Amino acid sequence: MAMAADRDPIAAVLPNGREVVSGWAGTGGEEKRAPFTWNALLWSMVCPRRGHRLLPTVSGTLLIAVAFGIGAAAYNSSNNILFITLSLLLSCLLFSGLLSWLNLRRVLWRLRVTGPLRAGHDAVVAAELRNGRRFLPAYGLWLDFSARPVDDEAKGAESTFTARAADIRAALAAAERGERRARLPLADRVAPQGNAAAEWIVRPERRGRLRVELAGVASLFPFGFLRKDVGVGQRVEAVVWPAPVEYRRFAAPGAKRRGEGERERRAGGGSDLLALRRYAPGDSHRLVHWKASARSGALLVRQFAAESSEGCTLWIRTERELWREPARFELLVGFAATYAEDLFRQGRLRAVAIGREAPRPVRGVRDLEELLDRLALAAPSGESGGEATPDYRAGRGSVVVFAPEGPHGVAAFAEGIKVASA
Amino acid sequence: MKAAGKTAVRLRADEFRLLRWGLGAALSVLGAATVLYMEIEAPVLMTLAFAAALATALFPALPARVPRLVHPLAFPVIVMLFAADLWRGGELLPAVVRLGLLLLIYRNLSYRKRRDDLQVILLGLFLIIVAGVLTVSLTFAAHLLVYAAVALALLLVITLGEAAEAAAPSEPVGETPAWARSADWGALRRRLSAVADWRAVGLGAALFAGLVGLSALLFLAIPRFQFENSMFIERLVSRKARSGFAETIQLGQVSEIQLDSSVALSVDVADQARIPAMPYWRMLVLDDYAAGVFRQSPALRGQFRGERSAAFLPGASPRETEETEIWTFYLEAGVSRYLPLTGPFGGLRFRETVTFRHAPGPSLVALRDEPVAMMAYRVEAPGHGPLLLDPDFAARWAAREPGVSRGTPLYTRLALREPDREALRKAAADITGGATLAAPEFARRAGEWLRRRHAYSLSPSIPRGDVDPVVGWLVSDGAGHCELFAGSLVLLARSMGLPARVVTGFRGGSWNAYSNNFTVRNSEAHAWAEIFDESAGGWRRADPLQPDVAAQGAGAAGPAAAMARVDRSWTARLDSLRVFWYRRIVSFDDRAQAEALRTMKEAARDSSRWLVDRLSAWADSARRWLSGPWDARRWGAGVGTLGAAVFIGWILVTGRWRWRAGGVRRPDPVRREAGRWMAALRRAAGGEVSSWRVAADLERLRFGAPATWPDPGRTFTEARRAVRAARRARPVTPRT
Repeated sequence: MAMAADRDPIAAVLPNGREVVSGWAGTGGEEKRAPFTWNALLWSMVCPRRGHRLLPTVSGTLLIAVAFGIGAAAYNSSNNILFITLSLLLSCLLFSGLLSWLNLRRVLWRLRVTGPLRAGHDAVVAAELRNGRRFLPAYGLWLDFSARPVDDEAKGAESTFTARAADIRAALAAAERGERRARLPLADRVAPQGNAAAEWIVRPERRGRLRVELAGVASLFPFGFLRKDVGVGQRVEAVVWPAPVEYRRFAAPGAKRRGEGERERRAGGGSDLLALRRYAPGDSHRLVHWKASARSGALLVRQFAAESSEGCTLWIRTERELWREPARFELLVGFAATYAEDLFRQGRLRAVAIGREAPRPVRGVRDLEELLDRLALAAPSGESGGEATPDYRAGRGSVVVFAPEGPHGVAAFAEGIKVASA
Repeated sequence: MKAAGKTAVRLRADEFRLLRWGLGAALSVLGAATVLYMEIEAPVLMTLAFAAALATALFPALPARVPRLVHPLAFPVIVMLFAADLWRGGELLPAVVRLGLLLLIYRNLSYRKRRDDLQVILLGLFLIIVAGVLTVSLTFAAHLLVYAAVALALLLVITLGEAAEAAAPSEPVGETPAWARSADWGALRRRLSAVADWRAVGLGAALFAGLVGLSALLFLAIPRFQFENSMFIERLVSRKARSGFAETIQLGQVSEIQLDSSVALSVDVADQARIPAMPYWRMLVLDDYAAGVFRQSPALRGQFRGERSAAFLPGASPRETEETEIWTFYLEAGVSRYLPLTGPFGGLRFRETVTFRHAPGPSLVALRDEPVAMMAYRVEAPGHGPLLLDPDFAARWAAREPGVSRGTPLYTRLALREPDREALRKAAADITGGATLAAPEFARRAGEWLRRRHAYSLSPSIPRGDVDPVVGWLVSDGAGHCELFAGSLVLLARSMGLPARVVTGFRGGSWNAYSNNFTVRNSEAHAWAEIFDESAGGWRRADPLQPDVAAQGAGAAGPAAAMARVDRSWTARLDSLRVFWYRRIVSFDDRAQAEALRTMKEAARDSSRWLVDRLSAWADSARRWLSGPWDARRWGAGVGTLGAAVFIGWILVTGRWRWRAGGVRRPDPVRREAGRWMAALRRAAGGEVSSWRVAADLERLRFGAPATWPDPGRTFTEARRAVRAARRARPVTPRT
């Protein structure tokens, strides 16, 4: 269950705008329903819709066994007392099925993954439910969640006829290994025309794409004899940022005072007014420009320019020949992401380049998030050498490059000086 | 977890747990209560089960005080007790019932998990089914309904509570759970009343009614097959019937039964006029008498044919193929293993295969085992005359050699000492005056003589001493009961050389005006005599306590007699329920099923015809009315009718929409006040109120959920200030 105190403190400083939300779907959606026919009803009992199952629970199996026993005794003895009991048990079973169906009727759901997701840290996955019925609440719902990493290199489905059993087992085991599953109850009922949500805390193990799925909605309502399963199959894919890495810092890169007449056009903590922008939640009230707000009719806040030209550009080289060991490459990615975030907080990060691409300026949080997204999906590249690198120095401070250090480590160098290592 | 919908009171996990605990205790009490009417020897265990359930329900922390050692030892000890009980008593079913009670007791002395609650449900259900099968009583139906309601409530609470309990911290093993420590039934009751939603309660009640209705439909519709097997469970328990209707009866045992006013026998007859004015229900014939004890002689017992298992017994009377009169008897448990009959019969049909013996001569049917539950049987072409033809005995009697007995009973034996014989002879001479009388005349005179000398009383005064009790009473003038009267008549007749015997059973009964059936109570237990009438070739009923000899005959009840015996009391109302239960539920078989389906089909067809006829009639009358001349009165009526129809339609439509919106609500005073201040502010500010901070609060009070309301009093004060400020046209306070 979600608790604010459990959330990642690093992620907490990032804006809460990175949500991935699926569309509403369910048993009572807006899709056009086929007209009711008895044939369709009977056929749906024989061959239910895909994912829709009605299975007896332990108590349901017990009830059926007891009904069988009493039925056998009733037919063997023609005893109406037993027939009465049999009728009551059968009607309990029928009613259970009917109410189970009714309970999940016109219930809509959607999946919401609240970002940012970071490897090794808890993330909130929420299933939102909406009861479309006018009068009847929905009771006792259970939600099946799953989350598993998505490999970048999508492998084509291999025929199980040609594959060896051991390979299939290994592939299944590998798929299962990274998968997380959970079944959570919805503690409250969903009131008529009301909404409710269940939150699942998932902790992704590694960076990359994560496929989060609301696999099913189930109900044991009313008596727990039958378990009604509705296969939902709602999926969203979210990007998991690299896990923060502990590193040692030796020097501050790009420490340089601004020269006379040199203008700095980036936001910072200086005293010069850079611009006015719209108020955003979290802005200090002291920054509100009241006169401008009164004139424009919308809240505006002041934005100041950075006081110094301190800053650096990160160049994250991803050549495979440089990072031969996958573990070291993962360390590089995590280190680069953590270092970039730290530099950004200090106001020293000017731009970042990954591989041979042109450096991209990091002016705000959105740029930083984009960087982390790209780092989340980064993989060793086949390209080689830094010969054809663009000019990183063009107004973007010193260049910090990463290089292997020691048997497993990674170090960051600025102007040939080691500034940090992990 | 959060609920973004309407905020409402929800039960917490500990409250769900307490509710589960209480419902489990209720189920235990209901399960143990079956012992009350199952008549199995387990009063101590039942009391213990009640006490354990009630005590732990009131004080849920009690099970924590049970020593831990008890739990691992509980089941071995219970199994050992069961084995010892089985070994000692030798009867399986009572031992199993007591085992169930022991398990119920233990389940109330330990905290139950989900599977333990299921075990309690199953145990209770088992006890109720056993009680139902053993007793076939109406109590079973009520018991099963209540039990089903509570059990379903428990299962519902388990299902709903699982989610809440999953989120709650787990309870440490071996300690008193938090919910038990803080158990407060009063608080739970208040919470439940706060949680209760009229829709949920109404829906629950409707669903349970639907469940019962569906059960009834299934009961009607389940296909029936007659395998002609008997119920095995009845063999697992034995029960003794009343001693007054056994093969050996001591003086006073029949009269003891009269102290019980419960129903002994219910008889379904198509027309109550077919029942004689004073019906006699014969059960036993006792032909041997000695020292105040009546019994069946071995010779009479020899008249019973061999034991037979069947569902039908053909009788001696001719069975007509059409319009055969059928009486359905419902004999309560514990009356006797001898079936009450009015005389000879054309056929006897049982609900299931039973094992019985039949004596065609005395027209008796004896079951092998005492019925432990209500016994239903149909008698086809029942004879109910005062004369029971017995050609075999008539032939034997005609061929008798005086003074010689060849093993066959001649019903003339007097096992008395000589002084008693002498006293009998004197009394007989006093009755006959020395003349030789035919059996009917002797019976009439002897009856008069006995009634003249003795009063009827359930507390007889029998002289003590060396004299035979019946002879001693006969020659005395003390009061006596029916057995003394009947025994005296038999001894008098035998002293005169007339074959005679004592018959026990019931006499009379009442007609239940509600269920239209004949009811015979235990208080109508009776003993009378039968004297062989040589001229008629049969046994003639001779009841010395019935002065009107004609009433002993087969005469149908006249209107006055029929009216006199109609019972409209409250007891009759209750009995009618019992008869309904026997008729429609217990005796429901494949024939009744076909009949019920046919009746339903006919009822549906008749009602649809009726509806079509009524609609046609209304259409015809409307057509005639419309085709008549249209004067002012007719116009007025037409317009008025149309207006009323439109008005009713409007009411219905608007009412429906209001109902959909959650019913007609009276406006909340705070919302009304907020609306008034909004309007005032809008007027004062010239229509634009968005710059006023208080406007947002007023909007929230007017339209927002109560949980999100600001303080209404402070908001209205601010609104008043804002209105004044707006009226004074002061600079507008910017909205922050």
